[in-house]
Amino acid sequence: MEVFSDKLDVFWNGFLGTVQMCLLAAVGALILGALVAVLRISPIPPLRAVGTAYVTVFRNVPLTVVMFFAAFALPLLGSDASFLKIPGLRDVIKPLGTDLPYFRFATIALTLYTTAFVCEALRSGIGAVPLGQAEAARSLGLSFTQNLRHVVLPQAWKLAIVPLGSVIIAMVKNSALAAAFGVIVTLMGVVDELVSQQYYDAVPVFLGVAVGFLILTIPLGLLLDMVERSQKKVATR
Amino acid sequence: MTDALITLDAVNKWFGKLHVLRDVNLSVAAGEVVVVIGPSGSGKSTLCRSINRLETIDSGTITFDGRPLPAEGRALARLRADVGMVFQSFNLFAHKTILDNVTLGPTKVRRQSTADARAYGMELLERVGIADQAGKHPAQLSGGQQQRAAIARALAMRPKAMLFDEPTSALDPEMVGEVLEVMTGLAKGGMTMIVVTHEMGFARHAADRVVFMADGQIVEQAPPAEFFAQPRTERARDFLGKVLSH
Amino acid sequence: MRLTRIAAVAVVAALALGAAACGGDDDKSSSNKFPAGSTMAKLADAGKIKIGTKFDQPLFGLKGLDGKPAGFDVEIAKILTKELGIKDDNIEWVESPSKVREDYIQQDKVSLVVATYTINDARKEKVSFAGPYFTAGQDILVRKDDDSISGPESFQAGDKKVCSVTGSTPAKNIEQYLKDKTAQLVLFDVYSKCLDALKAKQVDAITTDNVILSGFQSQNPDAVKLLGQPFTREPYGIGVKKDDKQFRDWINDVLEAAFKDGRYKTAWDATLGTNVKMPTALTVQRY
Repeated sequence: MEVFSDKLDVFWNGFLGTVQMCLLAAVGALILGALVAVLRISPIPPLRAVGTAYVTVFRNVPLTVVMFFAAFALPLLGSDASFLKIPGLRDVIKPLGTDLPYFRFATIALTLYTTAFVCEALRSGIGAVPLGQAEAARSLGLSFTQNLRHVVLPQAWKLAIVPLGSVIIAMVKNSALAAAFGVIVTLMGVVDELVSQQYYDAVPVFLGVAVGFLILTIPLGLLLDMVERSQKKVATR
Repeated sequence: MTDALITLDAVNKWFGKLHVLRDVNLSVAAGEVVVVIGPSGSGKSTLCRSINRLETIDSGTITFDGRPLPAEGRALARLRADVGMVFQSFNLFAHKTILDNVTLGPTKVRRQSTADARAYGMELLERVGIADQAGKHPAQLSGGQQQRAAIARALAMRPKAMLFDEPTSALDPEMVGEVLEVMTGLAKGGMTMIVVTHEMGFARHAADRVVFMADGQIVEQAPPAEFFAQPRTERARDFLGKVLSH
Repeated sequence: MRLTRIAAVAVVAALALGAAACGGDDDKSSSNKFPAGSTMAKLADAGKIKIGTKFDQPLFGLKGLDGKPAGFDVEIAKILTKELGIKDDNIEWVESPSKVREDYIQQDKVSLVVATYTINDARKEKVSFAGPYFTAGQDILVRKDDDSISGPESFQAGDKKVCSVTGSTPAKNIEQYLKDKTAQLVLFDVYSKCLDALKAKQVDAITTDNVILSGFQSQNPDAVKLLGQPFTREPYGIGVKKDDKQFRDWINDVLEAAFKDGRYKTAWDATLGTNVKMPTALTVQRY
């Protein structure tokens, strides 16, 4: 157990890496997921087809495969995802700005994969918004995008927040896979460093990693419970 | 009729095999109040909804203010902005306050300033008698209050015509009066209105013309005094007999 | 050279046959060759031996489909057992992962360990080593057209990226040369992914044992090159019971002889192949 006192900094750095990746992927997936959801309900058939194809592909392919493509196919296409070296952001989230692209690759993979699930959660939320809301907006002369932006999506977010939360919790756990694709400073990377290279006992290290994930996921779960309860209150009022 | 604001010419619509509108011809002049009555399933709601293209038609033409209804797109949105619509189930935006419901269209579609929209919105809420509810959310209001808010929302766009799709059918009986009162005020004020309703009282004293529909067809139309006193067709007599005996 | 080898085999074979012919309990056959009471004599008399090796180390000791390990370590061990007159079938291979090697020797679970066993002082406290019979070292593989990396020091500036595999000593060794681990080090589960990353210019170098890197170089001679300057030295020795100097010296004698007469080269060529360059001399440590 002395591994916790000796190597707390390793755990902390790994935790930070995971937090950074998850924050980026969550924000990215929520934005992209909303866009894909809009495609899926758009009145224009080719756009709908694109949205449907996206979800079909990314929801039905294992994350490992997506990660593999991001890490080994993007370079073949000549990309090292440097568009993610966003000024300002890369100063806060250091791994984003490194020459080494694997943090960016894994974040892209996690984002693209999670986007499909965000889209479906949102779409279920959009489906739960009564049709009359959109009709009323249309009858006022709002365009399709205005309708979405001001009427449908604000309500869909609320209805989708619980399923979205589950998607994000799953995403946090899925982020563990990044360690297998070259991202060493994450919670799972801690295992490699401490167990495989420095010969600490595996069980305490894994316990520490589990605690790290729980610190991230349990508050999320509690938050969702709270939201769910307050929604029930509104519904019964 | 040269001054017709709304014209339906040989309009047909099917829901699958169901022929819901059969060769409907109707012309509504500016400032006219037309009340559409008829048994349920007669197509009167569909007629009302097709005028601002919430329902598409399969053949025939609908003209509004001299121009045929546009297909999708900006032109259609502009037309809809000019045609107010009040729904049976109010359809107020659940996540917005009453005042925000009323100002959304003017600010986003008409590009009015928020201040102007709010000032006019409050004026309208005052007119329909719920100015004191402006800051509340729809779920906090009674059905009658909600429907009056929905009317104010439609009026905020300064429409050229108003469509009412059974505006009192979802209301508790004691709230029907307050909504009809607002509608009567509008009719007296010269608004062009098409009202689908079961409220024969409203038809009798507020309508310029009553249109009776059955099985997707306009069976007869006449000024209310004439229609209620001497319906010409057997179906209308039959319908009125059922409705008025209650 | 070839003749002497054949002769040597013939002699060993004759000795073994002789031992069989004269009956298993006859001490004289071994005492002719080995001092009485020596470990060699005991093993030769027993006609069987337990040898510790790795079962999961490619090129050195990797268990094959037939259930027996194969590799350079195994071949080196067989040179010794042939000298002892023990048939291959009478060798019991005992899987000896890194952590248990000293224990197995101390507890007599094995008579000797040939298992990519790096000689160091800490281990010499518990066991004795013959050899080394092989010197591994951590080296660096770079793209063929890249002259900007000359050794591990080239990573200190912080602009060069290096790949290795998870859970390896090489990854730990290179860390001390890095300015920023996050920005410079990438680890995969297998080296082939590192090679992809190197070719696609996502990383500038791969670091691990020179043996493994040599293999990659031989497969991709047009794309990559090995620096050939190991910056760690890992002499592989043969572990025996502590202070069994007699046995240790005998093993060293056999190793030297085998290097001279070509048996060492045969073992090398059959396992490490031509892609790892065989050293020109073998210098055992006698102590």
